[in-house]
This record gives sequence, C-alpha cells and structure tokens, in this order.
Amino acid sequence: MNGNVLLTNALSFRYTRNLVDSGNGKFNLMILCWGEGHGSSIHDHTDSHCFMKILQGNLKETLFEWPEKKGNGEMVKKSERVLRENQCAYINDSIGLHRVENISHTESAVSLHLYSPPFDSCNTFDQRTGHKHKVKMTFYSKFGERTLCATAVPQENN
Amino acid sequence: AVRSPRPEAWGRAAASRGRRAARRLVLSPRRLAGPLPAGLAQWFPALEELDVSGTGLAELGAELLALPRLRTLLAKNNRLGGPGSLPKGLAQAPLGRSLRVLNLSGNRFAEVPPALLGLRGLQSLSLGGNRLHGIPPDIQELRSLEFLYLGGNFITSIPPELANLPSLSYLVLCDNKIQSIPPQLAQLHSLRSLSLHNNLLTYLPREILNLVHLEELSLRGNPLVVRFVRDLTYNPPSLQELAGRTIKTRNVPYAPSDLPENLVRYLSLASNCPNPKCGGVYFDSCVRQIKFVDFCGKYRLPLMHYLCSPECSSPCSSASQSSTSQSESDSEDEASVAARRMQKVLLG
Repeated sequence: MNGNVLLTNALSFRYTRNLVDSGNGKFNLMILCWGEGHGSSIHDHTDSHCFMKILQGNLKETLFEWPEKKGNGEMVKKSERVLRENQCAYINDSIGLHRVENISHTESAVSLHLYSPPFDSCNTFDQRTGHKHKVKMTFYSKFGERTLCATAVPQENN
Repeated sequence: AVRSPRPEAWGRAAASRGRRAARRLVLSPRRLAGPLPAGLAQWFPALEELDVSGTGLAELGAELLALPRLRTLLAKNNRLGGPGSLPKGLAQAPLGRSLRVLNLSGNRFAEVPPALLGLRGLQSLSLGGNRLHGIPPDIQELRSLEFLYLGGNFITSIPPELANLPSLSYLVLCDNKIQSIPPQLAQLHSLRSLSLHNNLLTYLPREILNLVHLEELSLRGNPLVVRFVRDLTYNPPSLQELAGRTIKTRNVPYAPSDLPENLVRYLSLASNCPNPKCGGVYFDSCVRQIKFVDFCGKYRLPLMHYLCSPECSSPCSSASQSSTSQSESDSEDEASVAARRMQKVLLG
C-alpha cells in the first residue's frame, strides 16, 4: 500500500492509524502515517508483541523505564535511536515503554505495525510525573476505507 | 504528470501537445544544473503544481511569475534563503493570486521572506527546518492562512499579530526557543491544533482556555513549572494604588469635579481580580502567579494568572499555608471549564 496516498488525502492534525488486516482476530496489521513533527505519547502495549517496520522516512524511538508505583517524578529515559527506512523494531511491556516520533520538519514518515494479540486500549504516560491514563485507540481508516467516527474519540498512539 | 525531464529535453517535452496541458511537474529530487528555465510558463501554461524539492536551487526567479494557475509550489530542501531567493513582484503577479500552498521547509531562510507576505490567497505555508529567529508582525497579511508550519527554527518569541489570522487552524511552533506565548493567541478562534513541544516554556497564559475549538496541544519537552510557585514578582502597591483600591472596593462616591483629571482617569482603569471569590481590584500592582489546571482529568498545566495580592491565590489560602501545595480547591471551577473546552493535551 502506498503510504503517500494516505498522507496526501487529508490534512490530519496528527499521525493516522490505518488498519490493513485483522488476521482472524490473532493480530492487527496497520500502517501509520506521520506528518512532519508528529509524535506519539509515551505508551505501553497491553501485554502484546509489537513489531514496527519503517516503510518511508525516519522515526525516532525513545525507550522509558516503567515509572515507580507511587512515582511522582520525571520518567527515566533508557535509550533512543532513529530508525531508518526498512529498519525493524520490536517492543513488549517487559522491555519497557516508548515514544515514537517523526522528528523531521521536511519529510513525512510511514511505518508498518504488527500487534499480536490485537489490542484497542493502552496507557499513556506523562513524562514529567509518570502519571498514567488509559486511552482507547482508534483507526483513521480500515481496509482502505475512512472510518467515520475517528475524530470523535481522540486517537492516542501506536 | 510530467516527471523529471532532463533540462535539454524540456524543449522537446514542451513541444508535444500532451505536455503543454500538464498540470503537475515534478523535478524532485534530481539535481538541476542551473536555475529554472525562463520559458517555464510558456512551456507549461496549465501548471497547477510544481515540485522542485531537493533540486539544489538557490533562487526561484521570474520564470515562475507568469504561471497563472499555479496553486502548489513545493521547494523543500534546497539552498534558498539568501536575498533574491523569491522573485520580486511575487504578490502582484498572476502566481501571487493563484498560489495556495507554499512549502519552503529545509532551506536556509534566516527571516520570513518579505516577498511572500503579500500572498493573500495562501492557505498553507511551511518554513520548517530553516534558520528563522523570529516571526514578522506582517505575517498577519496572509489573510487566508489555515496551516502554518514553523517547527525546527530558532524562534524566541511570537508576535501578538499572529493572532490576527482569522482562519488559522493548524499552528506548528515545535522545536524552537520560545519562552512565552502571548495571551492574544487566544483570539485564534479557528485554531484546532497547536504544537509547542520542545521549547523553553515554563507556563502558559490562562487565556489559552479560551481556545474552544482546540483539539490538540503538544507541550512535552518544555521546562514547565511542576510545583506551585507563589509570588513570582510582587512590588508592594503604592499609596495611590491603595487609595484607589479602597475607593473602588468601598464604593466611595466621587464626581469628576472632586478630583484632578489624572486621578479620575486612573480610577477608571481598575481591573477586577480574576479570582471569582475575591471582589478586589488592582491597578498597576498585581501578582503574577502560576495556577495549575487539570485538563481532561489528566494533566496539570501551569497557567499564569494576575491576582490583586499574594493573599488572593485561593479562598482557603492564607499566609500560613504551605507554599508548595499542589492542590487548589478554587481550581475546580477552572478545571471543569478547561476539561470541557480542551479535549486533548499531548504532554506525554
């Protein structure tokens, strides 16, 4: 699928999640389209495996430690890297939390994501305090068709 | 679309009837040996979109001016930025009226080129990843602007005139050196998305709550004040101020004939303390104070308030209360208003 088609069709205020295949309920395969400067919150992966491949452009991934139970301080960065075209990454909750961002101000980016088992909610974290908040995740499009209610519930992350 | 013709083949391409009707010309990302040819508008009169990104151009010249239908000009990642990067008379030419989208990101502009400020039909402007140190007040001339991308520059402040853009919906100021947001930005009633991450902000003006259509606000990577801050600066009020406050709060009657004209004028300038539980007023002497507001029950954002005195921070506060208190009961009214109005905050 050409990510450019998804990117040029509409000016979205943030990155879009576009479902490609729901694999008999065993996994979700989706394409994320990131405009210049778009980034996700820090989030977890609800006990699922998460694979990511860069199809176009570059994405920066910053890994964070889980905050302390009663944590009320700045979250701890573990590492960061820039993933280039065709590079792959993997994460699950035992590895940690991450934020993914397109830090380019000139190029958009497209990534392919595989989650198994599929999940539609996760936690987002405030970097300054470690405070977490559960959010529902929505799709901008499914199987090539624009979803109608995508703007009603805030999209949160990948 | 016509794709990347070699310069020497342009004459041949233009001669073919099919090519003369071309609406989209993509020269990106092939490096061009020199500037765009002078005959461009003659060869491709129907052109609506021109992409010269990554071609190494150091200037866009008069060859563009006669393209009467050009709506989109993409010139990212070039060597533009010096004087004469954009053609003179840009705003007055046919191109100046037709142009809707202009992308100059990834170039070397140290200032917003004055030539483009006359593009009254421009809807989308990107100057991301340049070397801008500021935004000119005349940005307000771009009356049709809906999308403005200025991320990745060296901008230190935002002119209040930016708020005069009536259609601005999407404003990106991330990755700059901005220390404060002018409260006038709250007048951008059409604003749906505001990107401020990775700047030098310690607080926001409380007026930001007035942006009722704002769906997204990104603030991560700013040194936002986390703990309650009292009394950033407070000069004790003058005797004149104290007398003025007493007259106002006690409703002491006076007529213009009772006082010198300058004092009558002074008394008319009284501002009401924004604390809803305080009936006080202030003139010149006010307290700048940080107050935290919860958005969506999720994050506490520090907003700057002007209050009539240090004692006026909250109804149950007194001199004895801890100055590091983080919860404020009088922020609940504010918080519910904020939660309704601000649907999404990206703080992460």
